Amino acid sequence: MAEVLVLGAGVSGHTAALHLRRLLGRQHTVTVVSPNANWNWIPSNIWVGVGDMGKKDVVFPLAPIYARKGIGFRQAKAVAIRPSGDDEDAKGAVDIEYTEPSRAGQSERLRYDYLINATGPKLRFEATEGMGPDGFTASVCTADHAVEANEKLRETIAKLKAGQPQTLVVGMGHGTCTCEGAAFEYTFNVDHLLRAEGVRDLARLVYLTNEAALGDFGVDGMVFDQSGFQTTSELWTGSLFRERDVEAILGAHVTKVTATEIHYELLDGSLHTIAHDFAMLIPPFGGQPLKAYDAEGNDITGELFAPSGFMKVDANYTAKPYEEWTADDWPKTYAAVGYDNVWAVGIAFAPPHQISRPRKSPNGTMIAPAPPRTGMPSGVMGKTVAMTIADRIKNGPSAPSRTASMARMGAACVASAGTGLTKGSAAAMTMLPVVPDYQRYPTGRDVRETRGEIGLHGHWVKLMLHYLFIYKAKARLGWQLIPE
Amino acid sequence: MSQLSMSAPTPGAEPIADLSKAPLPTARTLRVRRNVALQFFRFLSFNSRIMRMVVKGHK
Repeated sequence: MAEVLVLGAGVSGHTAALHLRRLLGRQHTVTVVSPNANWNWIPSNIWVGVGDMGKKDVVFPLAPIYARKGIGFRQAKAVAIRPSGDDEDAKGAVDIEYTEPSRAGQSERLRYDYLINATGPKLRFEATEGMGPDGFTASVCTADHAVEANEKLRETIAKLKAGQPQTLVVGMGHGTCTCEGAAFEYTFNVDHLLRAEGVRDLARLVYLTNEAALGDFGVDGMVFDQSGFQTTSELWTGSLFRERDVEAILGAHVTKVTATEIHYELLDGSLHTIAHDFAMLIPPFGGQPLKAYDAEGNDITGELFAPSGFMKVDANYTAKPYEEWTADDWPKTYAAVGYDNVWAVGIAFAPPHQISRPRKSPNGTMIAPAPPRTGMPSGVMGKTVAMTIADRIKNGPSAPSRTASMARMGAACVASAGTGLTKGSAAAMTMLPVVPDYQRYPTGRDVRETRGEIGLHGHWVKLMLHYLFIYKAKARLGWQLIPE
Repeated sequence: MSQLSMSAPTPGAEPIADLSKAPLPTARTLRVRRNVALQFFRFLSFNSRIMRMVVKGHK
């Protein structure tokens, strides 16, 4: 009998748990530890943030799903990993603290034979003074945040309807943020809503980003083959901004937010301030604050985790200049350094470096998008590691690892630009691979599969993905046939 | 090298990206983006591309 422990129930962890349960006999246990009672389809939080969907449309309780599938569930947060066990047992263990209200404050040590760390991001609002729902900006990172964002947005719209001009700023709250696509989506959904409410002419809408160029999206931009010409995601994205009359401030590191102003530094080192009446800023992500100890209780956190809090895996972490980065630097198996029964997937693994060219202002401020590793790649990583573990359990510890490098896999990114079955729109992009490989492709990616399109069909795709992935996450009949 | 430059900031002014070089869609392009029949074919095409990528890139 083998015990498999999965930390985190986001796209990556939940996918891994469902596949493990499908692949393993009932004599083996699969247990998920998540501080949240609910699963959240985060891409649709954008629509909650503009009032097109309610919280109930994007979350559902995990416990009934796990009970039906025979997966153990602890509503708790992991606080420490003991990969070599402790003085009582050499078997690996994880210390957890319950967040479930009826057991709040209780702790437990769970043993494992195989461990997947899929703990997702810590939302680091504290990185920028005044940022976050407890400060002066809204967020769409959780369903509850998105509900609040919509409430604040509606207050702004009410002022616009009363004839008061308003400035709305949407973007990235720090120079090292990732998930630019979410801010991009929210920008154009806000624009769509303002137009629907008939108040767009009184609103100034500004996209404030750490990207050095529009269309970077944290993946160094893309080159598209369009109508027989190669064009860039920068021009393609810029076209949408120009059409919708959205202003853009590029290469910005937000330093401070007050009730009325956002202070930021640009790549050229200049300092600026923009007044705001409404702001939604995405925070930078960090790893969850997990500690690691050896069997004697010595702190080995630095061996397992990068300073950012993300777990070190089979990547090439050697520091080197941008020009020397290669696709081979990126992890393939996601096995933790030094432990062949521990893996980190999704946002939890430490990327070897950014994908976009890293830039610093003359003041030494890093202004460089962090690499995205959410959505499609995140699900693929979860499934891949689940298959590796199932192979090991069924065929012995020498079974080879499955691989899923972000420098080989593709991704679709459908950025909503407004809802409505006949009036909706989205910027729909596909890229192959996610991490550019300049040794295989002159433009870094396969131009036959790397495309960008804007139109109503993009909205239909995004809506279809919403329902498909919630169906899949609920493990309904045939869920495994829906690709990650 | 950025194709859409930031406007030269003057003291006290906000440095807004100059989007005047970005291609502006024509009225015909905007109509095509909203035409239900044409968009249905784009919908099928986009989904087939996602599936191709799943087959080619998720191995």
